[in-house]
Amino acid sequence: MKSKNIFLKAAVGILCLALVFFSCSKSSDKPSPPGPPSGTPDATLTNLGTNIILPAYQQLSTNTASLDAAVTVFNSNPSSGTLTDVQTAFKTAYISWAATSEFEFGPATDLFLTTHFINSFPTDTVTIRNNVNGAVYAIDGLGNYAAQGFPALDYLLFANGTVTTLARFTTDANAAGAKQYLAVLSASLKTKAAAVSNAWSASEGNYLKTFINATGVDAGSSLSLMVNAYVQDFDVNLQNFKVGIPIGLYGPSVLPKSPTKVEGYYSGLSDQLLIKQVQTYQNIYLGGLDDKVAATSAVNNGQPLNDVIKAELTVLLTKIQSLPEPLSTGIINNSTAITDAYTEIRKTTVLLKVDLSSALGIKISFQDDDGD
Amino acid sequence: MTAIKYLTRYRNIAPLAVFRMAFGAVLFFSCCRFIAKGWVDDFYIHPKFHFPFFGFEWLAPMSPAVMYLLYSLMAIAALFICLGLYYRIATVLFFLIFCYAELLDKTYYLNHYYLVTICSFLLIWVPANRYFSLDVLRKPRLAVTQVPSWTILIFKYQLLIIYCCAGLSKLTNEWLIRAMPLKIWLPAKANIPVLGPLLKYEWTAYLFSWASALFDLTIPFILLNKSSRRFGYFLVIIFHLLTAILFQIGMFPWLMMSATLIYFSEGFHLKLIRQIRKIFAKEEEPAMVEQYLPVNKNLQHTGLILLGCYFLIQLMVPFRYLCYPGNLLWTEQGYRFSWRVMLMEKSGTCFFYVRDGEHGRKFQVNNADFLTSYQERMVETQPDMILQYAHILKQQYLAKGFSDPQVTVESYVSLNGTGSQLYIDSSVNLADEKESWFAARKWILPYKNGGAK
Repeated sequence: MKSKNIFLKAAVGILCLALVFFSCSKSSDKPSPPGPPSGTPDATLTNLGTNIILPAYQQLSTNTASLDAAVTVFNSNPSSGTLTDVQTAFKTAYISWAATSEFEFGPATDLFLTTHFINSFPTDTVTIRNNVNGAVYAIDGLGNYAAQGFPALDYLLFANGTVTTLARFTTDANAAGAKQYLAVLSASLKTKAAAVSNAWSASEGNYLKTFINATGVDAGSSLSLMVNAYVQDFDVNLQNFKVGIPIGLYGPSVLPKSPTKVEGYYSGLSDQLLIKQVQTYQNIYLGGLDDKVAATSAVNNGQPLNDVIKAELTVLLTKIQSLPEPLSTGIINNSTAITDAYTEIRKTTVLLKVDLSSALGIKISFQDDDGD
Repeated sequence: MTAIKYLTRYRNIAPLAVFRMAFGAVLFFSCCRFIAKGWVDDFYIHPKFHFPFFGFEWLAPMSPAVMYLLYSLMAIAALFICLGLYYRIATVLFFLIFCYAELLDKTYYLNHYYLVTICSFLLIWVPANRYFSLDVLRKPRLAVTQVPSWTILIFKYQLLIIYCCAGLSKLTNEWLIRAMPLKIWLPAKANIPVLGPLLKYEWTAYLFSWASALFDLTIPFILLNKSSRRFGYFLVIIFHLLTAILFQIGMFPWLMMSATLIYFSEGFHLKLIRQIRKIFAKEEEPAMVEQYLPVNKNLQHTGLILLGCYFLIQLMVPFRYLCYPGNLLWTEQGYRFSWRVMLMEKSGTCFFYVRDGEHGRKFQVNNADFLTSYQERMVETQPDMILQYAHILKQQYLAKGFSDPQVTVESYVSLNGTGSQLYIDSSVNLADEKESWFAARKWILPYKNGGAK
């Protein structure tokens, strides 16, 4: 009887002891939670959050709202005039997306304002046509991610020229379906962009504060989240999808080139989107990452790393600005400007992914883990 | 002979019992934490491919249900080790499952996992459950108070090897003269409260580098010496708490803080056990008669010889890097299992190319199609994993009907802020390069310190 008593108490006690251990260890390696500021604020995070990220989302929210409004006008009175208005609003909104795709963390991921939902290209024209023709779908459903967002609008608003496009919404047997799907697409963009903009804004979700307060470079810190997203967007979206795949560097396909796989294929907006995106990379870098890198002794080929990255981003922007328009035609014509730009993109990828991240001690991985 | 006498003379079992409880508790929570964080899924279920250690390519993760079962079993085994319940079965089970999980994929290799492997192995051979344990309550005849001293000493010597090797590995130009990688890592923490403002100064990185090297090299001796022991353990707490605050290193600090308790005297441990007992039992412990662990002399001598061999290997393995050309941090030949902790800030990126046969089209591979981002990060800076991945690609494209897939890599790595440079000879067809136990990897390009200060 006596021994049983001790048995029980011993077990309970050791559990308690271990629990203390556990809770201690947990708090030590958890990503910094949102809450009161700990320690001193980080000027880079403050500037990036306040002056670059939040305004970019506000702009996207405004522009997608304008797009949605233009769609409503167009749907009630489809004409070449209203079509031009929608197309213009679309271009403006799409370009403002290129200034936010770099921030795929926090609210953007939580609220589905991600490349996966917003900018999967080449767009899934079969599913789009099915949806227009009355198939049952959920806009954010599993099989629908590539039939929505800007690429789907790009297809509906531009494919096969103005005459065919107008017919799609007026004389076509499924014109009503096309109008409805167009409205659903623009409404979904508007809702998502507004939600993320609100989540960041100081007067609503105030993720801005969370962002500024999560200092350091561990998994979950803002710098780690942002640089990871930044590098991922550059490496995968810009390098692979926007240029590498269209010029035929990926995959053992029989056809070496896939010009139809460029971003904004139907509207021919590829170049402007690329320019905006590279300008945004530059703005982000010069928004405070430069100060952080300059404060280290990191070098590249004997030169201070900060100088090397700044120069490289400038060279890259120049090369992107001189790409043939539209990009898809340039690819068919074997434009050397595109292969040159790709080489520059590759150089920048290495600088951002390897040199920048290691200079700041940020692990490029999208995984919370232990080190030793 | 005196050595044998020293190792086999009887000592109080209390330090061993406390070690068992503390270490078991940390392991238990380490396992629970692993499961709770979803790492069983992330590490063993989601990845399409794995990177088993050389010689263990035949191992593969089992079905999700079995993996979760194994991790749960491991957690229970750790709890049983802590409580001293079915101790021998629990230690063997824990050791086997842990080894299995570790050998499955080197992506997740951590020095502290190796430490866990080793200590759980050593625990199998010692009678740590024969005092203040549920096994003793179950079968009182198991109770002993005196055990041969080697059962306690092996842990002290193992920890001594760990600290000394960790310290020796810090006696390098990188660590002491360039203060790398702390010069990168500490300023990144400059915004934390209290300590933060100090971390942006360069001298702090130097101070921390030199102090930690000194700590590693001396702490086992400070702990071994009776008069300085308390001070030593105070240093252990400070040191490991600092690392816990500054770096994302999971359970390592807690493991070390619990393991180093072993250095304390039996008096200390008896007092500790009395304190723990007081929490659960009202009455005083009945005065314990000295009870000696019965040993088979011949078996014990054989065991000691085997342990001698074990420690010889432990002493040699960390220095195997001397057999390889090139910079150890760069080539990582002989890097693992050597107690090299937090020695480098290394990152990379690699572009893999596959060519169909000698003259077919060469194209780039999207690594994300094959690897998780965690695996990708590890592949990027570790040559043996680059080779393994090349072999994975070869197999995949053979299965797709390629006649003779050639795999090359354009790989860039930056080590301790010296800037990205080409890492692997991009002309070598890695698909046909063989991995081996000890041969040097000739396709790693030499390291150039690109004018970094």
